[in-house]
Amino acid sequence: MPIKVPWMKGVYPALVTPFKKNGDVDEDSFRELIRHTLPNVDGLVPCGTTGEFNYLTVEEQKRLVEIAVEEAGGKPVIAGAGASGTRQAIQLVRNAKEAGATACLIVTPFFLHPSDKGVYQHYYDIAQAVDIPILLYNIPQVMDAYLPRRVVQDLADIPNIVGIKDSSGDLTYTMEVLEFAGDRIDVFVGHDEVVLPALAGGVSGMILASAQVYPEVWQAVIKAVQAGDLVEARRLQRSVQKLSRIFCRYGGGVAVKQALKMMGVDAGRPRRPLKSVGGALLHEDRAEIRLELERLGKIESKSTDFSFPQAALAERFGDLELSASAIKEAKLRLGTGKVGKSPEWAQLDLVAGPKDSPLGDAYAYQLTYPLHRREALTTILEPNLTVRPATLILPAVEQMNLRQANMIYGPTQSAVAKAIVDALEAGVVPQTAMDDEVMVVLASVDPRALDRHALYHNVRAAMTEAIEQAFGGGSDG
Amino acid sequence: MGNKTEWFKGIFPALVTPFTQNDEIDEDAYRALIRHVLPHVDGLVPAGTTGEFSYLSIEERKRIIEIAVEEAGNRVPIVAGTGAQSTRETVELTRCAKDAGAAGALVVAPYYLKPSFNEVYEHFERVNEIGLPIILYNIPQCSGSHFRWWTAEGMAKNFENVVGIKDSSGDLPFMEAMFEKVKGEIGIFVGHDEVVAAALAAGADGAILASANLIPDLWQKIYQAVQAGDLATAQKWQAEVQKLVRIVVRCGSTQAVKEGLGMMGLPVGDSRHPIMPGGAFRREDREELRIQLENLGKIGRVEREFDLDGRVVTSQYPAVPRTPARFEGFTLKVGEGFAGPPFQELAHIDLLLGVKEGPVGRAIERALSEERPGHEVRVITERPRTLLAPTVTVRTAKQRRHVYEEAAKGVVQAIEAEIGAGVLPEDGLDELCMIANVFVHPAAAIRQRVMFNNFKAMRAAVRKALEGRPALDELINEKEAARHPFRYAP
Repeated sequence: MPIKVPWMKGVYPALVTPFKKNGDVDEDSFRELIRHTLPNVDGLVPCGTTGEFNYLTVEEQKRLVEIAVEEAGGKPVIAGAGASGTRQAIQLVRNAKEAGATACLIVTPFFLHPSDKGVYQHYYDIAQAVDIPILLYNIPQVMDAYLPRRVVQDLADIPNIVGIKDSSGDLTYTMEVLEFAGDRIDVFVGHDEVVLPALAGGVSGMILASAQVYPEVWQAVIKAVQAGDLVEARRLQRSVQKLSRIFCRYGGGVAVKQALKMMGVDAGRPRRPLKSVGGALLHEDRAEIRLELERLGKIESKSTDFSFPQAALAERFGDLELSASAIKEAKLRLGTGKVGKSPEWAQLDLVAGPKDSPLGDAYAYQLTYPLHRREALTTILEPNLTVRPATLILPAVEQMNLRQANMIYGPTQSAVAKAIVDALEAGVVPQTAMDDEVMVVLASVDPRALDRHALYHNVRAAMTEAIEQAFGGGSDG
Repeated sequence: MGNKTEWFKGIFPALVTPFTQNDEIDEDAYRALIRHVLPHVDGLVPAGTTGEFSYLSIEERKRIIEIAVEEAGNRVPIVAGTGAQSTRETVELTRCAKDAGAAGALVVAPYYLKPSFNEVYEHFERVNEIGLPIILYNIPQCSGSHFRWWTAEGMAKNFENVVGIKDSSGDLPFMEAMFEKVKGEIGIFVGHDEVVAAALAAGADGAILASANLIPDLWQKIYQAVQAGDLATAQKWQAEVQKLVRIVVRCGSTQAVKEGLGMMGLPVGDSRHPIMPGGAFRREDREELRIQLENLGKIGRVEREFDLDGRVVTSQYPAVPRTPARFEGFTLKVGEGFAGPPFQELAHIDLLLGVKEGPVGRAIERALSEERPGHEVRVITERPRTLLAPTVTVRTAKQRRHVYEEAAKGVVQAIEAEIGAGVLPEDGLDELCMIANVFVHPAAAIRQRVMFNNFKAMRAAVRKALEGRPALDELINEKEAARHPFRYAP
């Protein structure tokens, strides 16, 4: 009869595989990565999905497992040894055993979709062929199929099948496996976004991509759950929710490598066809990873000095080559509004006027040569729903990274657009202005702003104030 | 064997249900629509999916069926949509259709709660008892369940009033199974506009189509060609309408058809909420639909004047009812064009258009006289003089190629297309100038999409700048619901 193994618990990182520029496995970096992670984990998982196992040769997989065993300092090593065909999988499992692995993690056979019988036979053959503990592995996101619960239920009877890793994030599946096989095998959660609910539901541990980035958080979650302190466990899970989501949904190992790099651990690049950034992981999301690591205290934040424009309102539009006297002469409308608390506060300085005034020239010129790192954007409610009167948003401070820029072209732009249409609807901005005038808004947004939703509301309110000043009380600022 | 009827063949439009400004059924517009399609079709389908049956009261459904019967006046059969979620309501509606004089009922598989197929079978068994000919209706895109072939086969063979099936899935293997099981015994109709020629060629007896509101004549042409064994002609016309019907099928169906009819001068209002303009039928689709209707000769050209700061020129313009009567105010016009997908290859153009003596012309000449590290500008065509400026700093050779070759090619071709279409007035090209500020994502890869999305975005931007769109009512109606794509955290 099956016997549960004592080490099927705790936090295991699904290690990335570092590659050199020329595409070779970077053994030194792999060792460095393990040394970085080891103090906070209960074991290691080389050659998993996050480790790009499907891009590795048989020899490379064996070597990576050897290194992991060497570096593990006696902690268990669960070697990824899955393959599409049974014959190949058996070879990988034999190699892993020779390399000293404690157990093997075998993904559901993929690409061709075998029947339930075929899936059962796959695991049965492997378990018979090699005497090593085996973990089943359900990951429908890449397989396009679940490892059927009824098959798991039967496989759990095989003595050397000791566990299952469930990466689906589908808690109905996790609960079903616990219900039908939990008496004989242990379940690891493999989806970073649902660690706490899975632990509360009864899983014994986890294999996670993010467990090489913030393993100590996951250790603390386990501790809190064991102590029955769900409030603390929720707080901890929440603190890494966004990063976990990015890792799970936007590139997996690719995103983890970027995070490690920001933390000073060089894990190299992924193998093609994956791209370091610009593929599944967007540049914008990479910028978000940095911000979240700063928030977690994993990397130092580059604090930026920030202050709102202080000059008299009419003096603030020098970047548009509009002097106070030119504004006065052309009778341009001026208004300003400042709303909110640091760091989501915002100040909006508005200039509006006829298209055949110097403002019209400034507007056209901005679109031919944007200020460096202060590219102006046309205000839209959403793409193809351009606000009128046509309005440019000009960032008041340089945008040093895409995350900061996103605060301008996301929440700020959306809020400015809504404030303008609010004013059109209320009649504050006359309908004739839609055709006859243009506007430019100097948007001062704190580079440290974090909360998009708060920023959005502050900008909408500040812009409303600025419009009321500009259009409400005469045209001469 | 079989219940096949003589009348269930050919082209049937799935009529939209016109609504007035205050959201009531617009009977006059509905009658006008029927008169518009009637000469080209073999039957009418009121209260189908395209007719927004799921948003209509029982009384309204009854009324639009009655009107269709009245307007058709025995010239063509009426197949009334009578499907509902419960058996009870479906039976009631089917009885109403029978009383109203419909030739048959189009009965969708019960939806939302997903009954098992034996429950579906017995649902239709009750409807069968009414005595009105029934057309089974498979539309998994909406109902959430796909007929199993054995369910359809069983109903075709066991229920004496089942005379046909409409398959809107576009799943040709399913259709082939239907041909194998029940061809000749019931009428088999295709309901997916993108595969009509293929389905007819494979043996379908006809088609019930949303886009047959817009182009009934072209569908009739395709149907007739297949009947005559002329597959080359059928394929040619299917290809001609493919882009139009893909927009209709995939991008908001009923709202797309309604706006298309509006562009053709048949105002039928908007869909009922929660369907809304600029929703599933996105603005970029609207531009494209209009262009396709122009290409198919469904939107004609009329003379329009352009007052270029004093000098008046004219053009044969593809005007739609909302097009301004006269174009003026060429100091500075602003237009935005956005086209995708895919995300990395999307195009976003900020366009300025004006006379050379105005802000646009001055900005162009000044830009050309200055050094622009990372933002090199280029004049890409002289008629009208058009400056291409990159939004994003150009850092790599790949970006250079994407901006100055692919995007530029798309923009130039768009300008040529708009001159050809009469949108940019040939006689005013020497006075006018434009600045196209183009955004190409640094991670873009597919060159063809960069080019083509810029082509689409530029055509939209030119038209929007000239026609002063979006209009005030669009902005106000959609202000609250607008979904800004970058407002949210990942």
